[in-house]
Amino acid sequence: MANSYLVEPDVNFVRQLKTMGGETLKKCYQCATCSVVCPISPDERPFPRKEMIAAQWGLKDKLVGNMDVWLCHHCNDCSTYCPRGARPGDLLNAVRAYSIQEYAWPKWLARIVPDPRFWWLLLAIPMAIFVMILGPAGYLKIPAGEIEFAKFFPTLLIDLIFVPLATFWVPLVFGIGIYRFMTDLHKNAVAEGKAKRKDLNIPDFLKSLACALPAILAHSKFDECSSNKDRYISHLLVFFSFLGLFVVTNCFFVALYILQLPGPYSMGNPVKILANISAVALLVGVILMIYNRLQDKGDNIGKGSYFDWSLIILVLGLVVTGILSEVTRIAHAPILAYPIYFMHLVFVFCLFAYLPFSKLAHLVYRTLAMAYSRYSEREPCE
Amino acid sequence: MEKKIGVYICEGCGIGEAIDKDRVVKNGVPKKIEICRNHPIMCSTEGIELIKKDIADEGVNTVVIAACSQRVLYDVFDFGPVIVKRANLREGVVWSHKPQEDRIGGEEGAPQVDQLIQEMAEDYVRMGIAEAEKMLPPEPYLEETFDKKIVVMGGGVAGLSAALDTAKAGYETLVVEKQAKIGGFATKMRKQTPSSYPYEELQPPVIDQIIKEAEAHPKIEIRTGTEIARIAGSPALFDITFKAAGTKSAWDVMSAEEEAALLEKMAEEGEEAAAKGAEPTPDSPATILVKNPDAERFGAVILATGWKPWEPRKEDEPAPEAEGEEAKEAEAEEEPKEPEPTFEHLGLGTLPDVVTNVAFEEMAANGKILKPSSGKPAASVAFIQCGGQGTDEDFPYASAVTSMVALKQAKYVREDNPDGKAYIFYQHMRTPGQNEYFYKSVQQDDGIFLTKGEVVSVSGNGDGSLVLEAKDTLLGENIKLSADMVVLGTGMVPITRDEPVLNFAYRQGPAFRDLDLFDGYPDSNFICFPYETRRTGIYAAGCARRAMSIQESIEDASGAALKAIQCIESVYRGVAVHPRSGDMTFPDFFFQRCTQCKRCTEECPFGALDDDEKGTPLPNPTRCRRCGTCMGACPERIVGFADYSIDSIGSAVKAIGVPEDDDENLRVLVLACENDAYPAFDMAGLNRLSYSPLVRIIPVRCLGSVNVVWIKDALSKGIDGILTIGCKFGDDYQCHFAKGSELLDVRMDKIGEALKSLALEKERVQQVQVAIDEYEKIPGIIGEFVETIQGVGPNPFKGF
Repeated sequence: MANSYLVEPDVNFVRQLKTMGGETLKKCYQCATCSVVCPISPDERPFPRKEMIAAQWGLKDKLVGNMDVWLCHHCNDCSTYCPRGARPGDLLNAVRAYSIQEYAWPKWLARIVPDPRFWWLLLAIPMAIFVMILGPAGYLKIPAGEIEFAKFFPTLLIDLIFVPLATFWVPLVFGIGIYRFMTDLHKNAVAEGKAKRKDLNIPDFLKSLACALPAILAHSKFDECSSNKDRYISHLLVFFSFLGLFVVTNCFFVALYILQLPGPYSMGNPVKILANISAVALLVGVILMIYNRLQDKGDNIGKGSYFDWSLIILVLGLVVTGILSEVTRIAHAPILAYPIYFMHLVFVFCLFAYLPFSKLAHLVYRTLAMAYSRYSEREPCE
Repeated sequence: MEKKIGVYICEGCGIGEAIDKDRVVKNGVPKKIEICRNHPIMCSTEGIELIKKDIADEGVNTVVIAACSQRVLYDVFDFGPVIVKRANLREGVVWSHKPQEDRIGGEEGAPQVDQLIQEMAEDYVRMGIAEAEKMLPPEPYLEETFDKKIVVMGGGVAGLSAALDTAKAGYETLVVEKQAKIGGFATKMRKQTPSSYPYEELQPPVIDQIIKEAEAHPKIEIRTGTEIARIAGSPALFDITFKAAGTKSAWDVMSAEEEAALLEKMAEEGEEAAAKGAEPTPDSPATILVKNPDAERFGAVILATGWKPWEPRKEDEPAPEAEGEEAKEAEAEEEPKEPEPTFEHLGLGTLPDVVTNVAFEEMAANGKILKPSSGKPAASVAFIQCGGQGTDEDFPYASAVTSMVALKQAKYVREDNPDGKAYIFYQHMRTPGQNEYFYKSVQQDDGIFLTKGEVVSVSGNGDGSLVLEAKDTLLGENIKLSADMVVLGTGMVPITRDEPVLNFAYRQGPAFRDLDLFDGYPDSNFICFPYETRRTGIYAAGCARRAMSIQESIEDASGAALKAIQCIESVYRGVAVHPRSGDMTFPDFFFQRCTQCKRCTEECPFGALDDDEKGTPLPNPTRCRRCGTCMGACPERIVGFADYSIDSIGSAVKAIGVPEDDDENLRVLVLACENDAYPAFDMAGLNRLSYSPLVRIIPVRCLGSVNVVWIKDALSKGIDGILTIGCKFGDDYQCHFAKGSELLDVRMDKIGEALKSLALEKERVQQVQVAIDEYEKIPGIIGEFVETIQGVGPNPFKGF
């Protein structure tokens, strides 16, 4: 028989998916209700029915590098309507978690980030780095007088740590991941007949990326969900507040090094206003996300794995310490303000350093998959 | 017996309003009837007392009750030995006919009623009285030599369970097993599918416990290595000759054809051959006419001979249902059957590592599963449930059991090897009822992979493993897969398909009849009459009836055991066992007029009649199911029952009033089977569906009992058309007596020719098939037929 696909089930892959939030995957009996009710799946070769059988059969090559896994926005309409409680939406979430590890480098870090046994280690790494840098330089003491964080942790030292992290580490790790991801994505799409284009042309791909961006910014896919509509607003808040904080960070970087204007800045400063609004929005967004996950949707739908919760808790810690740093600073409570600020920096470090390994990596992979689906004409470019 | 008839007309349920009861008495009740009463509610205590008083004081011994249908209140209108005949005025007349303005009339001062409805009521009363006059009180058939012992054929799960059931109920039971050991296939299994909540885990087979219990039971005798040479006689009078399994016996039964040829030869050659027949030897066994004085007597038989694994038939092997001489004849007569598939494309018979599920089970029971080719452990096994080749049909005789076995054996693979892989390719995953829980639990196993799909080929991979290619799978494309072993989900063939098993010394031959209709299963009708076979007193259980799990077989055995007990106890009371449970009548033959045409013997759907070398029927009343097919078949009209005879129904037909000078007011006789068609008429009445008042309906036991003479009587009486309505026949027959409606259909063809010779139109006599739930079709069926008759015109014999 020509063009046969050689099936090589991997029992360990099944076991791993089960530990990452897909524990119900074997319940599926292939009725395809999920593919029918999915509001965002394409009409041709819809997901997640085919992903369910691939998962049951342990067919890693059909799931890791499958763009459809990333087109899913985890609405969980499929899980709500699944007659067997197989939770396809949560399974795809588990596959995404697995894929992030698969494409991340170095592997040891990829393995400990999603491992609940090592959460302390992840926090210990930045603490150790900070202590090793600040200790010999004579800092790490609560300074007297007006609270000024630069007295405790000089901005230059922060940037010595964080600028390489953001400009070297993250792009390096992601660069490797993106290359491997895109290669697999294209190979899988061509093999499964999902791609109309058989070549991979970078300028055209960038055009598709540009075309996908409005949909990403508008959260239009989230808006199509019906069972889990609340996530549209919470994700929107978190997304744009991070965007706001990204703008703020860049403004202050320019202010400090180019305009030579060190902080703290006045509360009336428009950038400061944007910072504060973003912080509050992030807090609200994260609380909404937590509230939403704790809702009982039956069958344990969307309750999330450690992989989800670790990111949410990190962001919550980040925003809470951020806001409290500012509040305690204004309240002149140095005993509280400096340690909280220290923790805030630890969280920021974690967010950046582990970005390509954590759930936050979907920022890159989903964007690429959405761009590729337009490039391959699986989805139209509107 | 001096007949004293009392007629009782009920006025309740709308009868009193729709008809003029005085005219019914005047026109419907012959003058000679002295006792004729009416009551507003005949079924009331007062009404019943009225009848009872006449029985006690006036010596009434035959009661005609003109009220509701015979199918209701039969327990209320039960007066012991008194003959009761019901004239159906309620469902049959007033509920099923709307009075029409233009037909209203009546004498001055008398109630004004619909004339046609009135005539109908008068006719039914007159017909009822005429029939009652010819009915006799039934006397039970009883013999002193009845035996209550039960024999169970087959010592597997079903047989032993049935034996335990009958033994516990107090019946001496003999279990006969062909193999050297009892227990059947269940003793060769590693594990069985779950039988109790939560129905998720495999369990050790329960057969050991059943064997122990059966062996210890004082009322159970077990004979292994034994089979039946012949079974003669009838329920409670079965004379069974046993023999060592696989041997020839002087009491073996010849095929019906061989037997007939021998009898013919005996008739020609005279005493020499007859003497030979009387001294049977294993090489020249006895005819069925010879009785074995050493045979053992039994009451009933439970057939639990189970199944054998389906195997592809070898090319040089003849089809098993016909052997030797028969095969040649069959080949000449029948169209060649399509050859059974051999599934060579799946490697069956050519690749050593491709086995059937039965072989795999035996391997699993012996320990770790090893590849037959190399003796190395089989780490990955593919289970194929469908033979493919363009169809989605499962393997022959596959069933829910086959699906469950595939799931079970997949579990074995996982038990033997924590990293083992089991693949199941199915077209149908049949796990009905609680079995679904087992399916769900197996599905949870990380190493069990299920998909719908067709395996196209299995071939050697060169490295000792096998490679499967499959299409139309749920994985969405053609796939290739490597496995250490392949197991084919082949089915379970009932032993009765290929072997007579019981070897009946019956005129109709040693095996069950019409096995082709049921793929070799001996059931007479799986849906309507479970456990009953086409031979009264023989009840099938377990995999002889359909493929079953162990648990199902245990439950099924109880059903057959109860049926066997019911049969014996019914015979002891002199009544029929089924489907006319409790019927005390049996066919009576007036042998002086018998022409030895053998029609009754041949047509009896249950082989109740044997015949001697001359062809005179030898009745076996306890084999009989009282359908009356013999009565319908007999051209000499010598067969009848006490309360149902050629004369009783014929008299009712002749009692129908036929208006002679009215071209519009025609008469149509309907002979309706009382199992499905007559209830359908009642239900039509109950639902107030109106049909033509020109019909007169007579319920018959079965259309098979309809004798052509009734039709001739009706036509010569001047009745314009005759419609017989009975059950569906053919492959999916619904006839309670298996063949009745079909047999009448054959007779009807001949009636058509007779009509032609009388210059009568063929359309005047027709047959219609109706199911019990098709009552809404009744007005249409009647309307259409009446219209046909009106088109043909009045019967020219009217008035002769």
